[in-house]
Amino acid sequence: MHGHVEREFKITWGMVIDLDKCTGCGACMTACQVENNIAPMLDASNKLRTLSWLLVFEMSNKKAAPDAEIAYLPRPCMQCGNPACVPVCPVVATDKNEEGGIVSQIYPRCIGCRYCMAACPYHARYFNWEDPIFPKGMEKALSPNTSTRPRGVVEKCNFCHTRFVQAKDKARQTGGNPDALPDGAYMPACAEVCPTGAISFGDLKNPEHKVHELAKGKNAFRLLEKLELHPQVYYVSKREWVRKLGDNYAATGKPGAEKKHS
Amino acid sequence: MEEKKQCKGCGGALPFVIGFVAALIAGWVLFPDLMYSKKTQPVRFSHKIHQEQGLECAGCHTFRDDGSFAGIPTNEKCAECHSDVQGSDPAEKVYVEQYAKTGKEVPWLIYQYQPDNVIFSHKAHETLECTSCHPDMAKNDTPPVFYQNRLSGYSKQTMKMWKCERCHAENGVSNACHACHK
Amino acid sequence: MGLDRRGFVKFVVGGVAGTLFTPVIWQGLDDAATWSQNWGWIPRLNKGEVKATSALSKLCPTGCAVKVKTVGGLPFAAVGNTENPMSKGGVCPVCAAGAQLMYSPARVKSPMKKVGEGKYEPIKWEDAEAMLVEKLTPLKGQDGKIAAISGDETGSANEVLSAMLAGLGSGGGFHVMPGEMFTATKGVKLMGGNGQPGFDIEGADLVLMIGADALDSWGPTVANQKAFGATRPTGADATAQFIYAGPVLNNTASVCDKFLAVPPTATTAFSLALANQLISAGAVCPASDFGDYKALAAKFTPEEFEKATGLKSEVLKDLVAKIKAAKAPLVIAGASFGQGAGALDFVAGASLNVLLGRVGQKGGMTLLSAAPKAIASAADRENAKDAASFLAQVATGKATPAVLLVYEANPAYALPQAGDMAKAMGNIGFKVSFSTYMDETAAMADLILPAPHPYERFDDAMNPYGVAKPTYLAGKPVIAKPVMDVKDPVDVMLAAAGKLGLSLGFETYADVIKAKAKALGADFDALAAGGIWNGELKGGALSLGAGALAKAAPVKLDGKTVALAPVSKLAYGTDNLATPPANLLVVRDSELLGKDLLVQMNAATAKTLGVTEGNKIKLTAGDGEVKALVHVNEGVAAGTVAMLMGFGRSAWDQFTKGKGDNVYKILTVSDEAGTGLKVWAGSTVTVAKI
Repeated sequence: MHGHVEREFKITWGMVIDLDKCTGCGACMTACQVENNIAPMLDASNKLRTLSWLLVFEMSNKKAAPDAEIAYLPRPCMQCGNPACVPVCPVVATDKNEEGGIVSQIYPRCIGCRYCMAACPYHARYFNWEDPIFPKGMEKALSPNTSTRPRGVVEKCNFCHTRFVQAKDKARQTGGNPDALPDGAYMPACAEVCPTGAISFGDLKNPEHKVHELAKGKNAFRLLEKLELHPQVYYVSKREWVRKLGDNYAATGKPGAEKKHS
Repeated sequence: MEEKKQCKGCGGALPFVIGFVAALIAGWVLFPDLMYSKKTQPVRFSHKIHQEQGLECAGCHTFRDDGSFAGIPTNEKCAECHSDVQGSDPAEKVYVEQYAKTGKEVPWLIYQYQPDNVIFSHKAHETLECTSCHPDMAKNDTPPVFYQNRLSGYSKQTMKMWKCERCHAENGVSNACHACHK
Repeated sequence: MGLDRRGFVKFVVGGVAGTLFTPVIWQGLDDAATWSQNWGWIPRLNKGEVKATSALSKLCPTGCAVKVKTVGGLPFAAVGNTENPMSKGGVCPVCAAGAQLMYSPARVKSPMKKVGEGKYEPIKWEDAEAMLVEKLTPLKGQDGKIAAISGDETGSANEVLSAMLAGLGSGGGFHVMPGEMFTATKGVKLMGGNGQPGFDIEGADLVLMIGADALDSWGPTVANQKAFGATRPTGADATAQFIYAGPVLNNTASVCDKFLAVPPTATTAFSLALANQLISAGAVCPASDFGDYKALAAKFTPEEFEKATGLKSEVLKDLVAKIKAAKAPLVIAGASFGQGAGALDFVAGASLNVLLGRVGQKGGMTLLSAAPKAIASAADRENAKDAASFLAQVATGKATPAVLLVYEANPAYALPQAGDMAKAMGNIGFKVSFSTYMDETAAMADLILPAPHPYERFDDAMNPYGVAKPTYLAGKPVIAKPVMDVKDPVDVMLAAAGKLGLSLGFETYADVIKAKAKALGADFDALAAGGIWNGELKGGALSLGAGALAKAAPVKLDGKTVALAPVSKLAYGTDNLATPPANLLVVRDSELLGKDLLVQMNAATAKTLGVTEGNKIKLTAGDGEVKALVHVNEGVAAGTVAMLMGFGRSAWDQFTKGKGDNVYKILTVSDEAGTGLKVWAGSTVTVAKI
């Protein structure tokens, strides 16, 4: 029932991240943690165990000083047009069939088999190795926008989907059209807080939304485009080496690019 | 052979029927009683009296400016009228003394309680009658008994996922996980 | 009729069959399935109306103008305030974690009294306040017996503290934690001017940052980031160039058009070599000391530049061409980690603005005159004395305070030669820490008086360092009742002063702030609602500081000694705040791995030092040493090791305690030639493999 038929949506929520503006400050990651109720971990340096729905990678041009350059790449879930994670789920706990094209998930149904994690080439999915234990009292600061997930469940970024629902409600309340939200009415937490405005967000199909044009810009690219998963997240960089890294297996056609920060 | 003989004439299908009927009675009459504990609301709130005062449903069960639904009103709303005892109903006295004056919110039992992972937009369902999901409370003088499932902890009236999905499917609305889950 | 075995079996079969026609099994299974999803052991969400309330979040040094989101009255997130020009909707990574920090396990929950080494017991506020008064009473009127250290650069609390000390006869006892604001203001004096320097990034079309990590941890970070972002519309051409010259390819440098790797020991040389080239290219300036300056700069030839920085002199030529082509170039001089640079590094950088005629111009360097005070007897901000020098005096017995009041500061952790400083603090008989969190200083205090979290208090911020125009922000509590048993430190001090017979004219901090707003001609209510007060953008006459610069002495390095470049990343916390729980995950595993910090150096430096990736090393300077792992990073300047600040906590919480090491332990203080200031930005360390 899921599979290789790619569904078209009238609305396609997408992100355009300007890598030349990302300073790697981390405000987006923090805002994401807060919005999505991710509990602090005792050893957050163990990146095999952490949950980072949005992860800011550090990329390097691999040149020696003084020609070294770095760039930061925030990686949310790509909300692929043709997601690799959805068809492999044995319990239909994840799917992509809602207007807007966000790959959705239901936590209580997830059996933790992690097929989706294996399938996702962007490593956007995370497995809860621990229960979400917050320091005493900190559960009072939980965000109402995302339910807490127990150990044994896979999770990922959903473009702060609850905010989408809220934006539609607000449009209905104020006489707007929930099916044609104005630019900026719905904004994920990361895009909202970014101090340099590196993250643009909107409907890729709506010409009134900035991302509509930005995604078509000459310096725009998507990660691992050759896999034809059709991500709804675009990146922009004037730096050629950065754009090349966006499809870093493409040069040779096989994996083997150097390990980046996980 | 001997055993068979002994049994001849002792009941035929009767024990089966007795067992069958007993199970039906137990299953349909006793089981629901056992399965649910009965709870009453902390304050005997009368919708009827409030309606007779000319209050509209939407006067208390309002949509906020951001389109979210306020649900059951909080003290802030109730105390607009009931900061002090108004009438002679003992239930009002209970409310004023135990809640309005102490600032404690009333721990109302929610008949349609949904878990944290469910997100339901009342605004999106505004065109439907409230009573298509909720009991009609307008004429209600004593809040209905709250039947709580001893195993799952949910109220008897809580809507199940299949109901949501069926209506969405019938009306061509998405049944994507995130349509209802967060 | 008896029931035999066969009859019983029939009965049971009938019962089972009947059950199948009842809801028992089906509903039971359904309920069990529902029950299995209840997950009662994980926390539940809070319900209620979602609101957003304006607040001043002084968790970062500048303070963010935020909107605190609450659900049913409980704060759960902080976002930028789109209406406030300091935020424009942006928020820094520390303030974004503000709601969770309110419930940080490191919070001091009630007043505490020291009852033994490292042992504390909770006491009542009335007892705590009585204890404070009792300790201060006999010292009243004795000069130098009461001292205070404030870590708040911008709050009116400093006025109360300094005025209280003056009123009790210890007028000289007020000190501030070293911040660039103070050394830069002294630098302006050395240039014959007056006021706190500001930098109009918004109006500039070329921003050269020498050391100053302006897009991550220097100055009003969020405002700077917004100004930077505005010049680079996505998908269009940039309208301004940003160039970073500093020891590390840090967050700021990562987005700059050009990064020039300048060792921290060569900052002044870099600025003066640039001045030399600019003068050669025809730059002249009417300042009276231009002749001297020109002669001084002439010594910093391209060859000298190459020697001092390890860079090719072509980069200098390229830079001069870019500056010449720019309409509104701006030079921001600062220490890459916001302190310890001394005044000369600042003067050298700032003199370029004078040389280019950029002082007081749009997109140039500005001067902010002192703001009117709420309390007349308070110390002037520009004359603030620094805590590092003070504790050095305590160590040698030149200063002998009996009581030390520490307000929003963490001198036991965040002063150079941290070990010596903590020891010096031990010499002081009675230490009071007004702190929100159990930091290293609170952990050695005799009395801890818990301060409210920013969402629980009134506070203000006057002219955060780096702003171009006079700027004032103020905030009031977001929540009605603090979540811990806290009191505002200023309220406590005002009450204590009252008991000692000293009236400062106010009873609460809120009143002080309202008076401050009034003195400025601002409306407190509008400020508390998320507003801002701004004065005019101004300049002033400045010399090139040739006299002071002539005294600059170069730093000598030998084979085993390398320059130390502390790196500050705001997300990882500040001196006063260990990495917030919601930010732990932002720290990379190339920076902190388990309990080991990774120090960064380029491959050439690693080779010189005889170390390779992953080696455990010891860095030593003075009496201090830290241990770390080597991580090769080509973004570090020649002959320099870079080390992150904010780690190696000995107090705080389970998330940060004992993780990594504290770079302050190996920052060594020296006297700056000609200015008498204590400096440590050019610290050097010895590296040994272990």
